[in-house]
Amino acid sequence: MIRLFSLVFVLGALASWAEEPLRVVTSIETFADLARRVGGERVTVESLSHGYQDPHFVEAKPNLMVVLNRADLLVRVGLDLEIGWLPLLVQGARNDRIQLGQGGDLDVSTLIDVQDVPQVKVSRAMGDIHPAGNPHYWIPPVNAVRIAKGLTERFKHLRPGEATYFDAQFQKFLAEVKARAPAWEAAAKPLAGRKVVTYHKSWVYVSRWLKLDEVGYVENKPGVPPSPDHLAELIVLMRTQGVKAILVESFYNRSVAETVAEKAEAKVLAMPSDVGARPEVKTYFDLVDAVLAQLGK
Amino acid sequence: MIRTLVMAGLLSSALAYAQDAGVPAEPSLLDALDQAAGGAAASPGAPSSNPIVRAFQSLNPDISVILDGVAGSSQRAPLRLAGDDPDLGGDATHAAAGFTLQEAELGFQAVVDPYFRADVFLTVPNLSGVEVEEAMVTTTSLPADLQVKAGVFRSALGRQNGQHLHVQSFTRRPLLNAAYLGTDGLRAPGVQVSWLLPVPFFLQLDVEAFSVGAPENLSQPTTFGGGARTDFTYAAELKAFAAASESLSISGGLNFATGLSPGLETNPELTGARSYLSGADLYVKFKPANEADSYFNVAWTTEYFARKLGRFVDAGLYSQVVVQVARRWSVGLREDVLGLPASELQPLTSRTSLSIGFTATEFARMRAYVEREFAHSAVVSDSWGAYFLLEVSIGAHGAHAF
Repeated sequence: MIRLFSLVFVLGALASWAEEPLRVVTSIETFADLARRVGGERVTVESLSHGYQDPHFVEAKPNLMVVLNRADLLVRVGLDLEIGWLPLLVQGARNDRIQLGQGGDLDVSTLIDVQDVPQVKVSRAMGDIHPAGNPHYWIPPVNAVRIAKGLTERFKHLRPGEATYFDAQFQKFLAEVKARAPAWEAAAKPLAGRKVVTYHKSWVYVSRWLKLDEVGYVENKPGVPPSPDHLAELIVLMRTQGVKAILVESFYNRSVAETVAEKAEAKVLAMPSDVGARPEVKTYFDLVDAVLAQLGK
Repeated sequence: MIRTLVMAGLLSSALAYAQDAGVPAEPSLLDALDQAAGGAAASPGAPSSNPIVRAFQSLNPDISVILDGVAGSSQRAPLRLAGDDPDLGGDATHAAAGFTLQEAELGFQAVVDPYFRADVFLTVPNLSGVEVEEAMVTTTSLPADLQVKAGVFRSALGRQNGQHLHVQSFTRRPLLNAAYLGTDGLRAPGVQVSWLLPVPFFLQLDVEAFSVGAPENLSQPTTFGGGARTDFTYAAELKAFAAASESLSISGGLNFATGLSPGLETNPELTGARSYLSGADLYVKFKPANEADSYFNVAWTTEYFARKLGRFVDAGLYSQVVVQVARRWSVGLREDVLGLPASELQPLTSRTSLSIGFTATEFARMRAYVEREFAHSAVVSDSWGAYFLLEVSIGAHGAHAF
């Protein structure tokens, strides 16, 4: 019975393929921008969260279920980043196209080399850790190209008739990234080896790309407010190592980082971590430019 | 010290590596981009090449345990004690005090196959033996935006009935839960059909049928659970949600249920009498999109039920405000009123409660809870109650419902 229903459904969908753009819903705005670049006019794209929100703590508002109800493809970060809100929305959406493992569910973390995969038995005494690895991976250009490539392949899988279009769109995106690469490399060069402290352990992919040296974290256990003892140690560490910058995503409360920075004679860099983090960060390219500009300060 | 030694060790090995093997030439960004562009993309459900990720793979259900330990005291046994309220003994004239494990909840959740998911929650309230709080199968791939749930589950009637203890902000359930829906709320074997209406906003219609069992004793008027198992209790709920702005959300429901009353010891005419519950709930929440900006948010919940049972008509409500005042602190105030209007079955009863919550982490929180019950009666005294709760959660990380 279910199969018959699905068949009718698939046939109906087939008939409307030619006209209807692919409805893509992403969990973060950076994926939305990349999907628009690769999908062009053949897709409509909506993001469930905004760049100025903490992607760990988005509210599972029922209107987002309505958005997901109509989606052909859900593009998500994975690695448990959205575990506190997305599963309920997917369950409430009544949309079997985007259920786990379906063609309309894209876990983007499967496209990249995941870092910080715990090599020891994990426990929550370590804080609110991500047992499958660090999910804050979308800023480095190499990863963005991999994500765009993965989106292209999935769009082609869902709309085989438009494969040439999506391939051409991807090549256009790749050419644009490559055109910007020399300027990015020039901006990155003076940053190599620079010692930094970050608030949350969410800059490891950027640090690897730019060869930043992360010597410590304000939040020593992810998701747990730091203890005064830890902050005192961190201030000493920063002074002895000459760390001059604390990287804090724009959505975190900056008061603790500012206190530490003041005592350690360093400055707090408010870092955009997603498209939409600030009004002027409208695209993925703006995001990389803004990250490099902020680090250059 | 150890850190310095480790650093020194790492540095020297890195140096040795550089001398012995020569540092491999780093590819330029352009080369790396080309390589990434040619990379194979993952297909749906493709196996991960990462051995550690592979090691995480398991088809076992997600398992979680939530413990609610309580120390408390009240001047007499509380009125209308719900099944998962802390039970510290006492009676109408004797104080209740001591420790209890208010609830131990075991959750098992998994997708069954491409068509179903299953969720099982076993609960041990007040160390009184294992109960099945919920054990249900939910469809995942029905057409026409339908979802069917079958098994034992909490009815979606109103706002709080469907919630488990650990998502509540107060240590005791609202009085109307035990008074109108049953000691354990409206929770029974049954079926629910839920339809997400094809409108541009969130509008959901749920229709339910339950075989509600009779309560252990008939000392209190009970709305549902009379007759045979085939004398179903029916319920219907219409739920709507509107985002007034990015920070302000409004959620509301209209609720209706009907069944047969199992009766009351002191009033034989109620046995098998038809009962009707109708009500509405409203939930308004103000929370800035970026919660860490101020960690401030306010949630206001109000729920109302009117009951017609035989020739008696009465009603009750509660209204509560919970304010998050700091990253880890929240304060809640709630007023319960039953008997508005009152009847012989439900005389006027009210309660004022204050709750102060401290969230240590996502997985542990503490709460101080104080209540004052007003019996509005010459026979039953008013009573103070105070409870301290420690709640921890281990295992799978559940998502937070709105």
